[in-house]
Amino acid sequence: MTDCGCDKAKAELEEYLHRELSDQDFRDITEHLDNCEDCSGEHLVGLTLTQKMQKACQEKAPEELRAAILAKLEHA
Amino acid sequence: MVAVLDEPRLADLGDLDWALMTSDTPEQGDDLRALFEEQALPYMDQLYAAAMRMTRNPADAADLVQETFVKAFQAFGQFQQGTNLKAWLYRIQTNTFINNYRKKQRDPYQGTIDDLEDWQLGGAESVTQSTSTRSAEAEAIDHLPDSAVKDALQSIPEDFRLAVYFADVEGFSYQEIADIMKTPVGTVMSRLHRGRRMLRELLADYARDRGIAAAPTTTRSTK
Repeated sequence: MTDCGCDKAKAELEEYLHRELSDQDFRDITEHLDNCEDCSGEHLVGLTLTQKMQKACQEKAPEELRAAILAKLEHA
Repeated sequence: MVAVLDEPRLADLGDLDWALMTSDTPEQGDDLRALFEEQALPYMDQLYAAAMRMTRNPADAADLVQETFVKAFQAFGQFQQGTNLKAWLYRIQTNTFINNYRKKQRDPYQGTIDDLEDWQLGGAESVTQSTSTRSAEAEAIDHLPDSAVKDALQSIPEDFRLAVYFADVEGFSYQEIADIMKTPVGTVMSRLHRGRRMLRELLADYARDRGIAAAPTTTRSTK
């Protein structure tokens, strides 16, 4: 198969999403995504998954938790 | 200014013998507590959200967060100002969770999850899709109710769930996750990869079952 950059991009999309790549690799993948519908579609799914989780997992502690913690620290 | 700053010590988080660490004098303790409340307490909601994903229920989550803050406070004299307090707190909470709660919950996969092959986890190795089904999949995920996402997250193995949560929701680096979970970075990457793939499949199934979008599953063709 000819390597148009897809193999490298697909292998590193998750690290790309999590900003774990070197600057050079990050630029390479960004450039590849600009020109490859297939890989950018795959990246979009990954990105959507992350954003969806961030939104879904927002949670506020119950009101009384703060007071309970402060009371415990008083005696810790 | 504050006593803790006068005696910088490297935090030894390898051993969690927090109970032995207490403040020396009352004044020192008061200063330390004020500093702790100012710096650590703002993380309460975040730690609670993480605790919900860990324990899966509000009562245990609240207990876990309380215990985390007590232990963190007892060890706060050892915390090196200027280093990552959030990661430090998550490390204490993760440790506490693993020591106290995991035993109770008895995850059937416990201890072996990283060794399982992909087929044993029920996931497909390769994802082959056309561009149009990918955009449909992204759209379907976007339209799912939050509860479906949380349910899916709850149903994947714990080590995968925590790695995914720490990376995707909390934005910790792979190295920070490795420190929090006390595992090599390579294991973190593998857990993330497998966890995310399982989530994606679960959510695709959910969307297809509910007719949320005309997204075929990522693993099998619909017809």
